[in-house]
Amino acid sequence: MIVQMLRVRLAGPRALLDAVLAVVQDLGVLHLDHPKAPEAPRVDGSVRKEKRHLQRLVADLESALVELGEATNPPAPFIPGDWPETIRRARRIRRHAIRLHRARADLSDERVLLLRYREFFEAFESLVGHELTWPDGQAFYVVLRAGAGGAVAELKRSLESAVSGEVELLARELSSGEQAVLILVSPGAASKVAKLLSESRVEELPAPAGIGEKNLLRALPALKARLAAIPAELEAVDREREALRAKEGPWLEALRAWVRDRLLLLDARGKVLAGEHLFILEGWLPRPRFGELEGKVREAFGPQVVVEVVGEETWAAADAPVTLKNPPLFRPFEVVTRMLPLPKYGTIDPTPFVAVFFPAFFGLMLGDVGYGLMLAALAIVLRIKSKPDTTLRAVSQVGGACAATSIGFGFLFGELFGSLGHRLGLHPVFNREEAIIPFLGLSVALGGVHVLLGLVLAAVSAWRRGHKREAMGRGVAFTMVVLTALSLLAAFEVLPSALFTPFVVAVLVAFPVLIILEGLVALIELLSTFGHILSYARIMALGTASLMLAVVANQLVGAMGSVVVGVVFALLFHLVNFAIGVFSPTIHALRLHYVEFFGKFFSPGGAAYEPLGHWHRSPESS
Amino acid sequence: MEIGLIALAAALAIGLPAAATAWAQGRIGPAAAASLAEKPELSTTAIILIAIPETMVILGFVVAVMILLRSGGGAG
Repeated sequence: MIVQMLRVRLAGPRALLDAVLAVVQDLGVLHLDHPKAPEAPRVDGSVRKEKRHLQRLVADLESALVELGEATNPPAPFIPGDWPETIRRARRIRRHAIRLHRARADLSDERVLLLRYREFFEAFESLVGHELTWPDGQAFYVVLRAGAGGAVAELKRSLESAVSGEVELLARELSSGEQAVLILVSPGAASKVAKLLSESRVEELPAPAGIGEKNLLRALPALKARLAAIPAELEAVDREREALRAKEGPWLEALRAWVRDRLLLLDARGKVLAGEHLFILEGWLPRPRFGELEGKVREAFGPQVVVEVVGEETWAAADAPVTLKNPPLFRPFEVVTRMLPLPKYGTIDPTPFVAVFFPAFFGLMLGDVGYGLMLAALAIVLRIKSKPDTTLRAVSQVGGACAATSIGFGFLFGELFGSLGHRLGLHPVFNREEAIIPFLGLSVALGGVHVLLGLVLAAVSAWRRGHKREAMGRGVAFTMVVLTALSLLAAFEVLPSALFTPFVVAVLVAFPVLIILEGLVALIELLSTFGHILSYARIMALGTASLMLAVVANQLVGAMGSVVVGVVFALLFHLVNFAIGVFSPTIHALRLHYVEFFGKFFSPGGAAYEPLGHWHRSPESS
Repeated sequence: MEIGLIALAAALAIGLPAAATAWAQGRIGPAAAASLAEKPELSTTAIILIAIPETMVILGFVVAVMILLRSGGGAG
């Protein structure tokens, strides 16, 4: 539901403005709005300057906290004191944190690089003894790429033909398939071989930078020693970072909370109409919270500050902010509603209807005890992994509801991993494998109910906002859809056929009324409404497709020759079907809501209710 | 011969809308991906737009099933 709002005004002496804003911030219920005045409130220069300084400081703090990591416990409140020293200290910590972060990143990168060399070390190490063939000669170390099968032999041939008798080539295969090759050359032939290698684009493996030695062979001991030393250095950096976090983290977080609070307050100042002697601030708050605000202000300032309702709330207030409030059972489904922009104030919040129809459509499509249990397990894992009040937690709850309906409809259809349920004695009340046409009828009928509900909500919403003509138009459209459905039922003799003519006459009478109320566009809308109802046939189509895939998976057991292989294939197929069975109904249930249902009444574009309050770290970011 | 024609009719009933859906989604998909790269908040709209052409193949599937069932070639 969309919470009803009141627009209130607070007025009092200019000297009390900061104190009043502090009380309002402590209460955290008033969404400030510019007072309706000929001139917009002016923000004085000192406020702008303070904001600039604080924004720079908060950027420093965020950067330091990103490097150090957030504390798990809320810090003690910050008490402002010597500002220049506070700013210096914050910057000092930030620089220190960034330095540690960079040192850690550099060490990690170096370690990764050296680890890549380790295998090369080992391969070359075993070749090292051969270098003594020419004590004053030169060694070249190259790595030939994997798959170049005859490359070593070809290289050997080329070298021997160029500097016969003055070169020796030794090779070892690495685990990656690459060839580590050591080329030993006499002093006289070294430059010729270097030129040949360069022309053939065979590059020598260089020693990593920072060792101070370009020749890999001579660099090997230094490389190994460096690799052994890195973990201790990493540990030292981690210890230093942990110590810095323990010492300065809580202070940084407390300061950040204080600065962010102050910034919110300064933003609020920009929405207040303040003269030399008086101030006026206006805003919106939920109707039940008005008494609380009035009481707190009276308690703090007595008759000096006046709190009054500017005008009784009407659902037609276009500038009122929107906040949704739903019972705990429905609240997780706000995640579906919030994927679209907020509804306009005065329109309908579709969340309660989503909470009923979304799991129902999902369950009808998946409709399998086995897959439902798998989904339930997935929802439980998500719930354990997620924190309260996060999107992931809401998704886990929606997943749980969908799992419950899937299991429920699974029992109704007698399905457990498809037709396996029948074999295990699960008797279907409604066998959708055989009753395809009745299942199609059920899907379309559900679509009719859903779309008609959308038309009713559209009429209610329009009436509430004072658009009576539009409300009546929606009402007539509703009547025409019902009459058309009844005519069809009479035509197919589900209802007495004598009723066919009266229903058709009623439709023909209602049609011009609809055109008068809504214009010619109503004709297109009416036709699209019928199209939308037929679109619910997808419930039957996806349900049947899911069932057929499960049946095929079960048939794999007997079709593979070996039972074990068949069972493995069947399990894999069921896993794939489960993935499709969760993804596809989710997308299509969403689509049925967003396009067919919401399209009838949903008006996006509401401004979010953001009361002035204290800053809190989002649960999503912790 | 008649069974073959019925099967062909059912195959066409689902095959042609499937091809049309694939063509439409093949054009919407890249456009949606490009939009998402610039505006990730359009993800809901992208999902809806991609799912819209599937109505064709779903209705095609329903018609194919009805052709098979009415002609006695299906499960029911």
